Amino acid sequence: MQTTRRNLFKFLGGSAVGVMFTPAPWRLITDTALWSENWPGIPRPVRGEIKTRYTTCALCPAGCAVRARLVGEQPVALMGVPAHPLSLGALCPFGLTGHHLPYHPERLKQGPAHEAAGAVANAIAQCGPNERIAVLDLRPGRTASWTYRRAMAAVKNGVYLTAPRPLGGAAVNLAAARTVLSIGVPLLEGWGTPGNVLAARAGFRLIQAEPFESRTAALADLWLRINPGSGRSLALGLTAQLEGKAMPAQAAAETGLTESQIADLAADLAHNGPALVLAGEDVPEVAPLNRLTGAWGKALIARAEAPVPDSWKKAAPPAGLASVPDGSIRALLIDESVPGDYIPWNAIAPKLVPDNPVVVAFAWSRNGYGRHAQFTLPTAVYPEMTGDAPAATDSPAAAFRISTPLVPAPAGMVDPAAFIAGAAGMDASSALRERADAIHKTGRGTLFTCADAKSTPVKEVKPEDFWKALNEGGCWVDAAGKPSAPVEETGWQAKTPAPQEASDLPLLVALTDLPGATGLISPLMSKLYQESNLRLGPNRAALNPASAAACGVSEGAHAVLQTRLGERPIQVTVSASVPPGVVEVGASPEILDICGAFSRARVAQS
Amino acid sequence: MRIPGYLFFLGGTLAALGAGWAGFPHVIYESRPQPVDFSHKVHAEKAGAKCEDCHSFRDDGTFAGVPALDKCSGCHAAPMGTTPAEKNFIDGYVTPNRQPQWAVYARQPENVYFSHITHVKLGGMKCEVCHGDEGATDTLRPYQQDRISGYSRDIWGTAAAKGMKMDDCVDCHRKHGFEHSCLDCHK
Amino acid sequence: MIAANGNNKAKRYGMTIDVDRCTGCGACMVACAVENNVPPAHEGATDRKGITWIRVFKVDNGEDYPDKRTVFLPVLCQQCGEDTPCVHVCPQQAVDVDPATGIVGQMPERCLGCRYCMAACPYHARYFNWWDPEWPAGMEKTLNPDVAPRMRGVVEKCNFCHGRWHAAKQRAAAAGKKEIQPGDYVPACVEACPAAAIRFGDLNDPAAEVARGAKDPASFRLLEKLHTEPKIYYSSRRDWVRRIGDAPRPPMGKENPRG
Repeated sequence: MQTTRRNLFKFLGGSAVGVMFTPAPWRLITDTALWSENWPGIPRPVRGEIKTRYTTCALCPAGCAVRARLVGEQPVALMGVPAHPLSLGALCPFGLTGHHLPYHPERLKQGPAHEAAGAVANAIAQCGPNERIAVLDLRPGRTASWTYRRAMAAVKNGVYLTAPRPLGGAAVNLAAARTVLSIGVPLLEGWGTPGNVLAARAGFRLIQAEPFESRTAALADLWLRINPGSGRSLALGLTAQLEGKAMPAQAAAETGLTESQIADLAADLAHNGPALVLAGEDVPEVAPLNRLTGAWGKALIARAEAPVPDSWKKAAPPAGLASVPDGSIRALLIDESVPGDYIPWNAIAPKLVPDNPVVVAFAWSRNGYGRHAQFTLPTAVYPEMTGDAPAATDSPAAAFRISTPLVPAPAGMVDPAAFIAGAAGMDASSALRERADAIHKTGRGTLFTCADAKSTPVKEVKPEDFWKALNEGGCWVDAAGKPSAPVEETGWQAKTPAPQEASDLPLLVALTDLPGATGLISPLMSKLYQESNLRLGPNRAALNPASAAACGVSEGAHAVLQTRLGERPIQVTVSASVPPGVVEVGASPEILDICGAFSRARVAQS
Repeated sequence: MRIPGYLFFLGGTLAALGAGWAGFPHVIYESRPQPVDFSHKVHAEKAGAKCEDCHSFRDDGTFAGVPALDKCSGCHAAPMGTTPAEKNFIDGYVTPNRQPQWAVYARQPENVYFSHITHVKLGGMKCEVCHGDEGATDTLRPYQQDRISGYSRDIWGTAAAKGMKMDDCVDCHRKHGFEHSCLDCHK
Repeated sequence: MIAANGNNKAKRYGMTIDVDRCTGCGACMVACAVENNVPPAHEGATDRKGITWIRVFKVDNGEDYPDKRTVFLPVLCQQCGEDTPCVHVCPQQAVDVDPATGIVGQMPERCLGCRYCMAACPYHARYFNWWDPEWPAGMEKTLNPDVAPRMRGVVEKCNFCHGRWHAAKQRAAAAGKKEIQPGDYVPACVEACPAAAIRFGDLNDPAAEVARGAKDPASFRLLEKLHTEPKIYYSSRRDWVRRIGDAPRPPMGKENPRG
């Protein structure tokens, strides 16, 4: 037969008509639409049985109770525990996203544990008579902290260092305060236990005294704008007024307030008491001031820690960096495994011996002391870690609660308590259990169990059940009244205020609180830092439009923040709410290494 | 003899129809067998199991779907019969504690929300209405999946059960007056 | 499309937000992102291109120290009840108002990404996926199975955590009931707020706290003059805060038009 081109076209034409009556073209159209909607790169959530587990958040000293929602064995959401006596069902944004931390891209996965152990052992062996082996604990009060104290007592020349405890270790009872004067303390920005602070908020009038408008100042009932660094003068002025003495001239001069403003404030505190005065460790005058305002014993009380076993009493006492002579620390082990207040490296470096000091940092990332340490050892991050949380600053009663892992830690993680105990020849693997047993033995207090939201007196709970409940997010709260253990008077440790800096650098630094600064924050926190204007991002510096123009930078520009101690690349945010002549930066470890509060700086184009 | 032109046309039509109806399904679907040669009939008859014994609801109303290994290991820790399929299952999955990667015939796309318990408990529907009489089958048919969209072939309906496309759900919903809003069935 | 079935009394879910309690912590913003599988910001995302189904704004009264006063205002989809603008303009009918709950539901699977609804929304509460979502390696294991992730090119917005509504209905069905327990369904932002500033409930239920809050003379809604009848009621004891609702956009200091 003849197959001409014409016949071929007829064949093809017939096929075209025929194929319309088959599913093929219609299915291909549908499939293309479906394929374009179900884009292969989009992850599908894993399905499974929904479970609930309870634990304690380890991201800050508040130690809020956490209810985790798991799909199978994987946590997918964290929420508060509503009836909890201490945290009252609240979690902050960091706590709500804690389950993301194990997957953080900057999370350390391995470290030279053997070499570090060898170096520390050598240092201990070779430690000279005037030298020291030191542990720096950024979050004191935990059971691990006691392990370090016992280890340093066992090691010759061991010393246990911590940052000064807020308020000298006293506890705050906000419910008993009618007025709160906060000298620069970020009361509404993650101080204490958020749920507790916010529940008590309606019961007191808040006066915030600080030079720059923080979120707390914006939310306070009254914001007193005082000059940078004049908190002590304000406290001295108020003390004099309340004692009926003449007000020192420096009070008004240094704070920038008038004498009558300070006098009115003092009268306010006296008449609307109990008035609690809060300040940082740079204002030791706050202690006697709280006695004058009637806060001591009511809103500010001595509170013991949760009991410890008697065998632990042989432990090194907490000491500050200032108590260690310069150039004396041969080996320094820094526990950065839970986020805590960062002590700038320039305060630590002079304390190390000049020849080959050994510095080991236990951390989640290299962003903190990992930049300076010889050995950075990775630790389990929250929610992989086991630890405990002592009562927070704003809990009138002592408390004990355990963080139990929600997910297993990857291989290669180091437990700082085990490492340091091992270096001292101790075994502290059952420290948490020993402590729980010691608490149970006192028979004091109540045990709160999360699943049924019940508080049971400890006397009615068997030791095994007590331990089991603690490992399921349970919380021990001490009975009110006489403390169960002697209160360790650590006293108010005054930090020597930094001398006024040379003013050839045009800008004044305002540090904004960056909770979790030494740890990692969930990538989802970009909602607050990048996808909204709510908070200043970790690598950003905010300038007033006039100041930005003077520095020659504009919004989003990559620039350099220079101080007398060093410099750091930053990205500029232009914001009219920053006063002229001020640069606002988040208090990350990198920033704290080059400037403190109220340092002077310059922003230059990079 | 000259072949008339229209025969080419007709030939083309018939070829296309044949290719489209008989050949296209083989091209568009990829097929794979289920990991275990499971017989519903044996379990329904010998073990007296009903659908909900293995495909159960949890306390919070969620549907457990295809049972996990521990449901099977409960009985099959040791061989209960003599079939090679059971022996393979025990050796390959029970002993090493490995979850079989079952292919779910009725798997809907991610944006679909279907609540089994609402239909079964509140709606009083029987499993066979949507899934066909799966309980009477002796083997599991191979899982066929559209190569381009990734959907299971069962979505378009089988001989045993009507389809599970949105139109099929909407038909029934309209008949019974349960139609309020798109987000009732989407997530 | 709407067939009445006469079984459940129609609900109108709404919120009351006490802005005097809001501290601007942002817990609601992150809890919402966790619940609804909203991805972390893409590198190029800014406050104009990011996705924040609920977003807290810092608003002040325009004065300087010492008269400056500040309030934090959480803004989310207002669930407009009357002449819902986004429903009207969508060429795909990818948005609808659920007559049983009053929730304005967005279907990303139907959306073609024209963003007409974003222009129509007077509250700027709708967000476009400029990029495909991306989670750091391993973090995709923490996605919520009750919510489907969206791909790029579609609009999304708050739907009062509809996945939780489904879960509550399922729990009710497990107990053989057609109606959910009132307290069993709360959106993530309501549950997460540490200050308990956001309350949620059925505005049609006279016993519900939100119904009482809605009738409170101290409560106000955003842009009431547009008559969109939003179901989010804000409350404050301060006059200047109540007037914010009439402003066309919360003043935020110097805005950068480049975003």
